[in-house]
Amino acid sequence: MERSNVRRIVVSGALGAVSAVMAITPLGYLPWFGGASLTIMHIPVIIAAVLEGPIAGSAVGLIFGVTSLVKAATAPVGPLDPLFVNPLVSVLPRLAIGFAAWGAFKLFRGRFLPLAAGVAGAVGSIANTALVLLALGLTASAQLSGAFGVEVSALPAVLATLALSNGLVEAAAAAVFTSSVIGAWKGIETARGRSKLSGEGR
Amino acid sequence: MKGLEFWKNVSIGRYVESDSPVHRLAPATKYLWLLAIMIPVSSSRSAVVVCASALLPLVFAVLARVRIRFLLRGFLPVLPFIALAATFQVFLSWPGDASPVLAAVGPVSLSLREAVAVVMMAVRFAAMMLAIGLFTSVTNEGDTARGVEDLFSPLARIGFPARSLALTIAVAFRFIPIVAGEFESVVKAQAARGADFGTGSRGPIRKAKAYLPLIVPVTVRALERAESLAEAMEARCYGSGPATRYVDSGGVATDAVARIAAIAWIVAAFVAPALIASVS
Repeated sequence: MERSNVRRIVVSGALGAVSAVMAITPLGYLPWFGGASLTIMHIPVIIAAVLEGPIAGSAVGLIFGVTSLVKAATAPVGPLDPLFVNPLVSVLPRLAIGFAAWGAFKLFRGRFLPLAAGVAGAVGSIANTALVLLALGLTASAQLSGAFGVEVSALPAVLATLALSNGLVEAAAAAVFTSSVIGAWKGIETARGRSKLSGEGR
Repeated sequence: MKGLEFWKNVSIGRYVESDSPVHRLAPATKYLWLLAIMIPVSSSRSAVVVCASALLPLVFAVLARVRIRFLLRGFLPVLPFIALAATFQVFLSWPGDASPVLAAVGPVSLSLREAVAVVMMAVRFAAMMLAIGLFTSVTNEGDTARGVEDLFSPLARIGFPARSLALTIAVAFRFIPIVAGEFESVVKAQAARGADFGTGSRGPIRKAKAYLPLIVPVTVRALERAESLAEAMEARCYGSGPATRYVDSGGVATDAVARIAAIAWIVAAFVAPALIASVS
């Protein structure tokens, strides 16, 4: 089916709202081992990129980024929140998630759909982790070394450890969630327009 | 069952209804001033420029009759972080720091350069928080979306989808309460069936797994609603011709002056320190 522009705009808006609600409530975090939490707020961005293309993905990424910026500025909770007031950290990396996820989805699209969606989820999530940490390292190295209690020279190692320990689990979670949502949604879409009973016999 | 009522905690910004000169500015002008404060505060190296830009939101807050204490409330949770960063600055010394030592206890000393670095960091954070907090308290949701369109309207001539972006943001604003309500009802439905959202002492993997039957239905429901909204809009021929706007904002003389002042401020913030440096 040819996707109209109106559809793309409205779907981006709806997924942007899902992302924004996750970002302002505790729902955007999965509880994980040792009190750490995994973010799943970027998953709507990946879903938008898979369903409606990279431009929709970056529109949702923009909404997600700006929401996290406003939240960091008006209701900060964690010690790292003030660093996210900088748009270079909170908005710019999020614009790239959509492109990364869409590219990965394109590569695998011919194959099994849930697998392609899962790969897109993982790639989008890794792009988010890597770019946000890169932006943090580039813009706020002095403050970060204060927050982690290490010297500036040791910062790349700390950020890399963080990327591996949290980032990989987040990528796995994003793969599972994206694949489930896309599977459920595409299942609905293909079944639409005909009776469910007619499909049951096959 | 604490934490099930998400809607109570959902708010982006805190719009304060009022009829002040700042509220009356066109949304695009407010965006321009937000940029005029954020850009120098986050990227200028000159302490004078950063402090001057940090004072601006306070001036606007007074003009807008928004209480400054209300805006600074969000700053409290950040103070421990700044204290931590400050301690670290004191314990480590900058290589080649030749500035005078202000205080010294044993091997630990606070030099002027360290003190300036800590104070500047705090000022930058406070200024950005004030600016964004103030922007959200003087701009309502409709204006936030319309402002995006106005701000990007020069780019629209070369094909940037300013109108689509503004509509996306407006749809997102409209969907936020719907999605929040959807989350609430799904969480309640799952809890009624014995699901556990962060209250029990089960393993993290089981807790994480509990989120799957929450995220999937909420996202799919949001997509379904988006499809119906898109169909309704297409049925009303949205996008098949030029659209008009219900509210037209901008074009007042005050706005023109305020916009020129904002652009002048950004230019001055970067040109003035360079000029002073070249003269002295």
